[in-house]
Amino acid sequence: MEEIRIEHVTKDFDGFVAVNDVSLTIHSGELFSFLGPSGCGKTTLLRMIAGFETPRSGRIMIGSADITDIPPYKRQVNTIFQNYSLFPHMSVYDNVAFGLRIRKTPKAEIKDRVEEMLSLVKMADQASKYPDQISGGQKQRIAIARALINKPKVLLLDEPLAALDLKLRQHMLIELMNIHDAVGITFIYVTHDQGEAMSISDRVAVMNHGKIIQAGPPDDIYERPKSIFSAYFIGETNLITGEVTAIEDDYIQLKCPDGTGNFLELDSTYNIKPEVGKELTVSLRPEKIALSRSKPRMQDDINMLKGTIEDILYLGTHTQYIVRVGLLKFRVFSQHKRVYFDDKALDWEESVWLFWHDSDTWLIDEIPEHDISDSAEGGVSHYQRSVKRPAQI
Amino acid sequence: MSKEPRTDWQRQQKQLSKQQKSRNLASWALTAPALLWLIVFFLVPYLIVVIYSFLTPDIYDVKFEFSMDAYRQAFNPDYLRTLFQSFKLATFTTLLCLLLGFPVAYFIARAKDKTKNTLLVFIIIPFWTNLIIRIFSWRIFLAYNGVLNDVLMNIGLISQPLEIMRTDMAVILVMVYVYLPYMILPLYSVLEKLDFTLLQAAMDLGASEVKAFFSITLPLSIEGIFAGSLLVFIPALGAYLIPQLVGNQRTLYLGQVITYKIKNIPRNWPMASALSLTLLFFVAIMLILLFTLYRHRRNRGHA
Amino acid sequence: MKRMSIARFYKGMNLTAFSLVMVFLYIPILILVIFSFNDAKIITGWRGFTLKYYEQLWHNDAIKDAFRNTMLIAGLSTLISTVFGILTALGMENKNFSGRRLISGLIYVPLVIPDILMGVSLALLFNFTRVNTGMITVLIAHITFCISYTVIVIQSRLEGFDYSLVEAAMDLGAKPAVIFWKVKFPLMLPGIIAAALLAFTLSIDDFIITFFTSGRGFDTLPIYVEGTIRRGTITTINSLSTIMIGFTLFLVVITKRIRKVLISSM
Repeated sequence: MEEIRIEHVTKDFDGFVAVNDVSLTIHSGELFSFLGPSGCGKTTLLRMIAGFETPRSGRIMIGSADITDIPPYKRQVNTIFQNYSLFPHMSVYDNVAFGLRIRKTPKAEIKDRVEEMLSLVKMADQASKYPDQISGGQKQRIAIARALINKPKVLLLDEPLAALDLKLRQHMLIELMNIHDAVGITFIYVTHDQGEAMSISDRVAVMNHGKIIQAGPPDDIYERPKSIFSAYFIGETNLITGEVTAIEDDYIQLKCPDGTGNFLELDSTYNIKPEVGKELTVSLRPEKIALSRSKPRMQDDINMLKGTIEDILYLGTHTQYIVRVGLLKFRVFSQHKRVYFDDKALDWEESVWLFWHDSDTWLIDEIPEHDISDSAEGGVSHYQRSVKRPAQI
Repeated sequence: MSKEPRTDWQRQQKQLSKQQKSRNLASWALTAPALLWLIVFFLVPYLIVVIYSFLTPDIYDVKFEFSMDAYRQAFNPDYLRTLFQSFKLATFTTLLCLLLGFPVAYFIARAKDKTKNTLLVFIIIPFWTNLIIRIFSWRIFLAYNGVLNDVLMNIGLISQPLEIMRTDMAVILVMVYVYLPYMILPLYSVLEKLDFTLLQAAMDLGASEVKAFFSITLPLSIEGIFAGSLLVFIPALGAYLIPQLVGNQRTLYLGQVITYKIKNIPRNWPMASALSLTLLFFVAIMLILLFTLYRHRRNRGHA
Repeated sequence: MKRMSIARFYKGMNLTAFSLVMVFLYIPILILVIFSFNDAKIITGWRGFTLKYYEQLWHNDAIKDAFRNTMLIAGLSTLISTVFGILTALGMENKNFSGRRLISGLIYVPLVIPDILMGVSLALLFNFTRVNTGMITVLIAHITFCISYTVIVIQSRLEGFDYSLVEAAMDLGAKPAVIFWKVKFPLMLPGIIAAALLAFTLSIDDFIITFFTSGRGFDTLPIYVEGTIRRGTITTINSLSTIMIGFTLFLVVITKRIRKVLISSM
């Protein structure tokens, strides 16, 4: 069991830089995900680990061995391809046995190991079928068996669930985690689906434009995004940029750009050391905000704003409210728990109080250059640059 | 740091072009046998045809003396009439194949998926049956004392056998018979891809069936019509065997004349060469015409 | 109501056209088959069932020779043109190949030129080079017209080839040579079989090019049949034709796999 080290790896295609000076260490036995929009370089990075692409510069190590220039057939790395790439002219059994036959494993051993593998992926009764006779989910299992039978040090999964429907995807996700627990090797998982990455991974690397934006455990990235991109790409958020008005020992005060002179307060427990008068951006997750008709009893460490409900989207598990506060719009998720809530559901144009804990206002050391709400998702704008752009409303 | 990747990049570029060069070389090596073969046995022979067309005929062979006689003869009215006959035959054959083939291709394209393949096989079987046997079977069918006349006389429709064999009509009939699958298959392959809901949409918007056919089906199947017409027209221009076996000797076609000039004694190789080149010339013109038309349509479609 | 009837009229018209074409395509062949069992010397009415022409066929050495020649030429030209086809198709896979246009031009042009011209040009080539016409010249001619077809059929199969299968094999530890024989070649095989079948049929079927390139004493079946028809002794031709049609039917109908391949090769 050895860790994988990616050191200053850069790759370009005809001048387009797909992966730009990426360095990263993936621990042994970890389930690691590369997450990002299409074209962010995650698949290229995976293909370089598999050996299908050679980096322009930098190197890739497994343990102490430099594998940068080793051809794919000599690497102890196996891949699950997006479309599974099962050999259509071979039966399920022959597909799984392929790697062992290449290595001239004795016949009896091949039989034992193929059967063992097929039962691991619950496909023991399908051995004689051909790829075009089995379903998408079954193909997926065979692809996993075909890769794992070679006892690779690392298993690479390139958007393995993209071709499956929602229910099957959720089911396979759990299955993949079980298989990961059973075999105990490193899994590197590439996906554009934040839900998949969050639920399955030990650690996630968020990528954009060929660079790793942030790497860490899912909850860390969600709760403590280091950049606007990772705050925005994973989950949904309200981004607010304002001027620092006061720095105290235990909190920072920010002028809320809603045009009404409100202030936001946040914990000053980061390593970012802001200055008074400088602009800062904060991320506020919609589910951290509570709504109330009556003004909450004043508490320490609580932010409070008064706004008007502009839009209501019922989503089953929760309801999304768009609340206007002066020049700003806030996106708020509220679960339907009667015990917490006022008797009657909130209505359009009703005025409400928004409140949340200081520590939920998360400071990002980056000022947005442009409105990213359109590029990423569209829909309701839940990010306002500053007071200087009231045109948003 | 900024220097390092640059040299790296140059090295990579070199490696890349080297890799491309070796791949290119491998492609040349792989295609070399067929390329050489086609140069020696396809291109060079045409060169010889060109040379021979300027030589003087001998009874069995050619004399290597320059002469324009072959071309002078090729453009006299007798041979021009032969050329005209061949064009007429090819045109009629193509039109009849199109008229007959279109509804058939349409019928197969609209059949259920399972029956489609069976129907196609029925079209293809004759196509895979020996050509000369199929022509021969028509001789039996159409002959003076053949089956058709027998049946017609027995049911009293005619009192005297019809003389169909060895007429121009028999030639066209058998030509259509032989070349019909060449028209149906390309038509089918376009019609099969045709989205028939477009027709419903057109009718929904108020077009009648006839209007929908001319404004939707026909324009969208034009590629198949081009391909099919090409596959029928060009071999029909050079037809030899069918006119020879079911036609009469009063109407000669270009393919027959060329063959006689080579096979019959006294031989006239320069004449055969000149006529072949004339045929080649007209085929080339047809091809250029068709492709310009095709490209024109396509460009308009894209705009 | 009127609309419906027009639609039905169209459908009916297509069905009628299809049925007519079916009759048109099969009646002559059917009559040929029936008449091969007719106990009559010339083409005339039914004179009773006989197998004697099949027996005559069996004892006819000229036909046996022609059959042997046909099979020999078809077998050899199929083999060679298919190998050429495989190599060329593999070479043309490289999209940046500098000879791509030249070679695809040379491959496609023979298809759009009447057969008779290839016959004439080859006849002149063999006359010019003073080569004695016979088996070798016929073989050369057949290979020449088969190459275009084999290359195109195999190439069209390769175009749909999923390159990720090669990557998958590489990923599982297979070296390039192993990948070719274990993954790529087996997947090319249907295309290769289709190409070979097409070449074989074209070779058996060819009359005109063979007519121009075969010398006296080297007859293939079509050449023999044409000669016999011209001379008027046609009774054995009926039975010979029936056997050949049977052979085609066997190829096309009985073997389902081949049938699939045949359709896809079209």
